[in-house]
This record gives sequence, C-alpha cells and structure tokens, in this order.
Amino acid sequence: MMSDPQIIEGCARNDRKAQQELYSRYSGFLLGVCMRYATDKAEAEDILQDSFLKIFFNIKDFSGTGSFIGWLRKIAVNTAITHYHKHLKFRYHIEIEDFVSMETGTSSFEEDLFTSDELYRVLNSLPAGYRMVFNLYAVEGYKHKEIADMLGIDTNTSKSQYSRAKAVIRDKLEKLRRLKGNYPAAD
Amino acid sequence: MKEEQEDKVLSELFRHKLENAEVIPSPGLGKMLIRRVAWREFLRFNPARFNAWYAGSAAVAGAALVLILTTSPGKDNDPESSTIITRPSATEALNENARGNDAAPETGESVNVRSSQKNAGAGAEKPAAMTEAHEVSGDGPEKIKGVLPSAEVPPVTDGKMLAGGTPGMNKLQKTARKADNIINASVTEGCAPLKVLFTTRSLLFDSCRWSFGDGGYSFEKDPEWIFDVEGEYEVILRGYGEAARQSFSSVMIKVHPNPVARFEIAPENAVIPGDEITFLNYSTDASEYRWDFGDGNSSDQFEPKYSYNRYGNYTVRLIAYSVFGCPDSLVVQNAFGSGYYVRFPNAFIPNPNGPSGGFYTNRSDEDSFVFHPVHSGVAEYQLRIFSRRGMLVFESSDVNTGWDGYYKGQSVEPGVYVWKVRGNYINGEPFTLMGDVTLLKGQ
Repeated sequence: MMSDPQIIEGCARNDRKAQQELYSRYSGFLLGVCMRYATDKAEAEDILQDSFLKIFFNIKDFSGTGSFIGWLRKIAVNTAITHYHKHLKFRYHIEIEDFVSMETGTSSFEEDLFTSDELYRVLNSLPAGYRMVFNLYAVEGYKHKEIADMLGIDTNTSKSQYSRAKAVIRDKLEKLRRLKGNYPAAD
Repeated sequence: MKEEQEDKVLSELFRHKLENAEVIPSPGLGKMLIRRVAWREFLRFNPARFNAWYAGSAAVAGAALVLILTTSPGKDNDPESSTIITRPSATEALNENARGNDAAPETGESVNVRSSQKNAGAGAEKPAAMTEAHEVSGDGPEKIKGVLPSAEVPPVTDGKMLAGGTPGMNKLQKTARKADNIINASVTEGCAPLKVLFTTRSLLFDSCRWSFGDGGYSFEKDPEWIFDVEGEYEVILRGYGEAARQSFSSVMIKVHPNPVARFEIAPENAVIPGDEITFLNYSTDASEYRWDFGDGNSSDQFEPKYSYNRYGNYTVRLIAYSVFGCPDSLVVQNAFGSGYYVRFPNAFIPNPNGPSGGFYTNRSDEDSFVFHPVHSGVAEYQLRIFSRRGMLVFESSDVNTGWDGYYKGQSVEPGVYVWKVRGNYINGEPFTLMGDVTLLKGQ
C-alpha cells in the first residue's frame, strides 16, 4: 500500500505502478466531481481521463503543501471548464427564456430525500451553462466574480444563470419528490 | 432573506451529497488511460531519446526507400508490394534457397545487394537491414491476416503467393519464426537481482511494448530491467509499425536463485588466542564456500576449524556460492572481542542465615547469595560498592571474592547499591565498569 507522498513521487517519475495506484485510489472521487459537470457518464469519463492526463503530467507542480485531494479536485474542475468551453459550440442551446417557467416554490429539501444518483441526474439534465455556474457556485463555493472569470462570462450572467439554475433544479426536485411520494421508501 | 435561506438549503443539499460523492468508473477506463499516458509520454520530446528517435526514423525512411528501389519494377504498381516482397526474400536468404522456386536464387542475391545499398544509403546499417526483414517475416502469415484487413493485402493467401512467383511463404515463416530474434539482451541468465539491458535490432516499428514476464512492462525502445526474483521469464517485445503492422519477438531470461550465507562462531565467547574456533555453517542453497578468517588465511571447507595465533580484531567473511555461481556473503566484524569479560548481575538476595565472607565459586553460589561477576581473563581487579548515600559498603580486589550483602557483619537495607569496578585483563587491556545492583530481601 503506497502512501500519498509515495504515489506523488512515483508519478513524478512516470512510474506506471504509482499512476495506477493514484488512479484506483482517486478515480471514483474525481469521477464524482466530473459527473457534476457532464451530461452523462460517458462525457464525465472523458473529462476524467483528461484530468488524469493533466494530473500525471503536472504532478511535479503539486507543491506538497495543501491538500492533495483538493489539488486533484481543482484540476478536475478546471478540466471540466476547458471541456465545457471546447464543446460549447456543439451543444444544443436551450434558450434561457424557455426555461423560465419557474414556479418559485418555497420548498426546502431534506437531504435524505434524494440519493446522490438522483441529484447527479438533475445536474446532468441541466443546460450546460446552468450546470457550470451552479456547480461552481453552490458546490465548489466560488464567488460569482471568479466564476465569471473562469467561464469568460459577465458577473451578472453568472448571477442570473445561477438563480435560474436554482429555479430549474428546485422545480425538478419538487417533481421528483412528488414522484417519490407516490412510491415511498423506494430507497 | 427567505430566498437566501432557500438558496443555502439547495446548495447545501448538493454540496453535502455530491462534494465527496464517488462514482465508479467503467472498468476499461483505467487501462485506456494508462495507454494514453504511455502514448503521450512516448510522444513527448525527450532529449535522452532524441537520438534513437531520429536515427530510427531516418533508418526506417532509408530502409523503405531502399526496399522500394530494389523491388522489381513490375510489381511497383501494387502499393503493398514493397513490403510483401521483402518478407519471403529475406527469410529465404536465411534458410530456403533449396526450395528452388523461380525467385529463389535472385532474391538470395538481392539481400546482399540490399544491405550493401543500405550501407551506402543509410550508413552502417547492415545488420539492421537484415534483421528488419526477419522481423517482418517473423510475424507469420496469420499475424498479417489478423491485423490487416484482408482487402488491403489480397495476395497473402498461400496459394496465391506461390502462384505469384514468391517462394513458399508459409513454410518459410515457420522456420523464420525460430530464427527470428530481434531482441538483444545484455545477459540472458544470471543471479538475482539481474539487470538486463534489452536492445532491439529492429527499426521497423514506431512504438513497442516490452513485457518482462514478471508483470513489468515498458514502452521504451531499449529498456533496462531488473529481475529481482529468481525464475525464468519470457520477455516479449511487441512492435507496432505504421500500417498497423505488428511484430513479435521474445527471449528467455533465466534468473538464478541466490544462496544465503550464514554462519555462527563457536564457542560463543571464544578467547583468542587459545580457543579453537569452529565456524558453524548454516548457509542455504549454496554449494561452495570461501572463508576469510580476517588474518590473511582462508579456507574452502564447509565448516572449518581455525585457531588464531594472536589476539586481534578480526573480520570473518563467508562467501557462499550457489551451483550457478551466485554469491552471497556474510561478514562479521570484530568477530572476537578480546574474549575477556567481566559482567555483573543487577540483583541478588543475601543469604539470610548470615555473612559468608563473599568467597564464591560457580558451584557454591548457586542461590546467588553473593554479588559477584562472571568473568574471564581478569588480571587486576578492584570492586567498590556504595550505598545510595555514597557510603562505601564493600571493597574487593580479588575477583573471586564478591559481596555477601553484609556490612560489618550486619545485613544492610534492601535497595539499590552502586558498584564500580576497574582493572586490567591479562592482555593488559584496562576496563572500567559501573552500574547498580538491587539488593533483595529473602524470606
């Protein structure tokens, strides 16, 4: 069993074993990150692969200070953003107005109500722009200013996309809850 | 306000659930990734590989040019002809002149022509040119069929090949497969750990993969590998050329087990000079032994006995060789102290029945009533024992007289006493020791 510093050191030497170890240890976690930024698992795995390539070839740049897992996550998020930019033009754009059906429910959601799988599906079904902003703001905890810089959009766009994303998500969760209410304890 | 709270609920829901969520990747993904990594690494500019990389490309280009030039013009209209023709012609040069097909004698020459042209063209590449051809032929027809879509190489059915004037390829390749060896190993057998430098004499592929048979692999062209564990390993080289051509070659590497050298010196506290030393040999997997006694003498016996002439700090060394000649050694530095010693116990129980005067022999003091050392070779000796308050309670200059635990005929308090001893051994070596001893009360 290799320790993280050993793995890092091994990867810096391009040691195949260390790379495999790193992969087997963190691929699940990182795919979990990528899944939030993708429309489906296949795309998430593409992002994951690109992330690992970056990780392997840039592991020398990991300073050793700070959390390794945080560094990995950051790379995955950045790769997802790159991926988003790259594939932006190929995406099916949904006009924002189409989505502004928002019935602004005053709902609060208990955590136990939804499985992480369901939350992933909700995120996957979002328009890419919404998904990026929502993830970066709500889950990753970036500020709108930072998100605007990362995605190359206006701060206000980030804000409005976020609030729309929220509305859509809430809408979807609400539906999901109603659906689940009909079939309780289906966990 | 309310919206902010809602906002928080929603983001917290996602954060808690998904921030550290794990999703299991598809099973093949890791392998694919590693392949991509390897490929990227290979493509990366690497100064260490720079020469091999460019020399290799140049040689491949040169070889291709030469092959095209030397194939008969009639076949030039077939785009595949240059490569296909070389396969039988080169192998036939090795072993199949006797088939006497129409093409045989002339191809025999053509190989020579080729290599000499190669010398002129690509410079000093004669062996490479030969082996390249072997390598291709070594693929065997089944490989070619398997890898290339059949439409791309229509003539590679045996009958057609024969009919087409190229000598019996099928048979040739069977023999060629054995002769074929594009791997050059710096050693093929040796003792573990065995470091082997593999080089390949072929330049006809763009990338390759070595599997070393012990689970390790490499994508380097000329890798170096260390086999740690004994065993026989089949090292396989797969080369991937342009046009999806694959070549395959292997070599056996034999790693012999290592013996273990182990010995013990008897008697345990040998005194030299004087005692005859027996070296007890506990080595395993060894068949030959070389002893170095450290005084310039040596022995090849299994368990030698040896008497040193004088005292000294000797370093005894045993090298054990296995039947394959693999060595292992054990070195014992300062194998013999002077052999002289003084050692004290750390507790004793005075005889409750009264003082004994301290005289003891090993036999008379079986109950440890007397505090005394075990010793050897003591010439001069002075032992002093103090109470914890610093009062001298016992003094002796005779190593054969210990302390009976009484002071002026009275038994002293149980507790810790401090002793100090100084003196000389019979070889003149001085000693000074101190320590403490716990005096216990008997029932």
